[in-house]
Amino acid sequence: MLSAMTFEISQGAAAPRTPCLGDDAVRVRGLRKAYGEHVALDGVDLTVARGEVLALLGPNGAGKTTLVEILEGHRRADAGAVSVLGFDPARRERGFRERIGVVLQETGLDQEIRVREALELYGAAYPQRRDVDEVLGLVGLEERGEAKARELSGGQRRRLDLALGIIGDPELVFLDEPTTGFDPAARRQSWELIDGLRELGKTILLTTHYMDEAQHLADRVVVLARGTVIANDTPDKLGREATVVSFRVVPGITLPAGARVERGIATFTSSAPTRDLAPLLGWAAAHDVELEGLSVGRPTLEDVYLELTA
Amino acid sequence: MIALTQQWVTTRMRLTLRNPRALVFTFAFPLILIVLFSALNGNAEVDAYGEKIRFAQFYTPAIAIFSLVAACYTSLILGISTARDQGLFKRVRATPLPMGIYLGSWVTGAMLTGIGAVVLLFVVSVPAFGVDIYARTLPAALLTLVLGAACLSSLGVAVSSLVKNAEQAMPVAQLTFLPISFISGIWFPLDGAPDWLVKVSHFFPLSHIVNAFGSCFVPGTSGSQLHGSDLLAIAIWTAVGLFVAVRRFRFEP
Ligand SMILES: Nc1ncnc2c1ncn2[C@@H]1O[C@H](COP(=O)(O)OP(=O)(O)O)[C@@H](O)[C@H]1O
Ligand SMILES: [Mg+2]
Repeated sequence: MLSAMTFEISQGAAAPRTPCLGDDAVRVRGLRKAYGEHVALDGVDLTVARGEVLALLGPNGAGKTTLVEILEGHRRADAGAVSVLGFDPARRERGFRERIGVVLQETGLDQEIRVREALELYGAAYPQRRDVDEVLGLVGLEERGEAKARELSGGQRRRLDLALGIIGDPELVFLDEPTTGFDPAARRQSWELIDGLRELGKTILLTTHYMDEAQHLADRVVVLARGTVIANDTPDKLGREATVVSFRVVPGITLPAGARVERGIATFTSSAPTRDLAPLLGWAAAHDVELEGLSVGRPTLEDVYLELTA
Repeated sequence: MIALTQQWVTTRMRLTLRNPRALVFTFAFPLILIVLFSALNGNAEVDAYGEKIRFAQFYTPAIAIFSLVAACYTSLILGISTARDQGLFKRVRATPLPMGIYLGSWVTGAMLTGIGAVVLLFVVSVPAFGVDIYARTLPAALLTLVLGAACLSSLGVAVSSLVKNAEQAMPVAQLTFLPISFISGIWFPLDGAPDWLVKVSHFFPLSHIVNAFGSCFVPGTSGSQLHGSDLLAIAIWTAVGLFVAVRRFRFEP
């Protein structure tokens, strides 16, 4: 009996996260939202498994905030099915709000409130709340507990937003551009915090327009552009089929179709690099020129992103 | 639930009291007015409420209502529209805090601050300028104060729902309050004002609040000074404010 249970549990833990209805934190099908004539979301499907960290990546205006705020219950969809932790977010039930943590892209706080006071006040309504000192430590504000909101720097304010987002010990955390405007050190620190949340088993849906952030934090990346999902994969697999070739252009060489030249460097993406490289190398050998800076490699997420959103 | 409400109301008040603008308009400015004018002509007599009354005796309750307006009406319009502009309402709306408790904390905080400011004015005026208060009329005065605070708060929330943004809030609050204050007996009594002006002033709630409260401090009267028709007008305006607030309230700019 005991061994059978152990077997089941270990198998469950080892199994890949397969999307299955009861297990999904977020499930969205055919989501549409328009502002007047302007279509912000045009038939979006999205699934976030429990315990998963998903990055919603996309340029400004892609519809990230619109999507996230529909999931939080702040905006209403025009069409489509939305389920978040089994709730319909549009109904904004209290039980739903008790289990999510929200860090909005732009959000205010009383200028006169003190950091600790804010955490105690906003934490008070949650049935399960984290210890204020622990949360202050998590976001690196343990020294600023008595500071007023208006005395905090921009980065500290954002970390207080994060703290307020997790004070109620939510299962699912929405982070809308949590590090936009941060200096590199502050960004690293926030990444550690978000990694810490992952370790606690939280499901996290974050939006970003930084490739490195998605790559560093996310189990899976969904790329959104002009209101549609154009890619959905792990950061590693995203763009695995393609290879990026680049080198310094030399006069007389014939570049393959689709190559871009920027500041004298030619770059092209190829799914058959051997075939595409052969004529270039042949030409170079025949003319006895060296292709300076020649590199053949996996595309960075940035390459993929630029390619996808072009 | 009660503990939660209490925590929000006390914090709301603490935040208001940390805000220098609110402190100046609600506490300091009315106090300065009273001290200044009473020191200048405290023993002069004015015709008010059909009697001859010592200046400080007329002026203290009138300025007290000015204080109540600053705390309940002006502060709420400014506070709520600023909070909405800054995204505070949106933040709160995503938490389990019931919206009723949140808005209730704004209103209750404003009412308690306003009533506190009025009490403070009397605490200064009674010993300093010999203003009399009467046990006989105290219940009516307190009832008027509470209903008046509720009315001004309800109108404050209503107006804050109508203004576009925080920049509009201050001018709208002043432009709705100041002209009406001149015909409501705050700055000078309405005794001797032309009939039509008195009629106009009776349309608005402020004159009723001033009259119901000020009557309680007229010397030589008898009875409890409970002014039913004034209180009814105040109640009607409270309901109007609530109706507009409920219909037009919004969480985002
Ligand atoms: N409240 C709104 N009213 C009108 N248009 C909006 C509103 N919010 C967003 N939009 C428009 O919808 C598009 C998507 O916006 P948004 O969801 O904020 O994108 P992102 O967060 O990816 O930058 C943009 O073109 C934006 O201008
Ligand atoms: Mg956005």
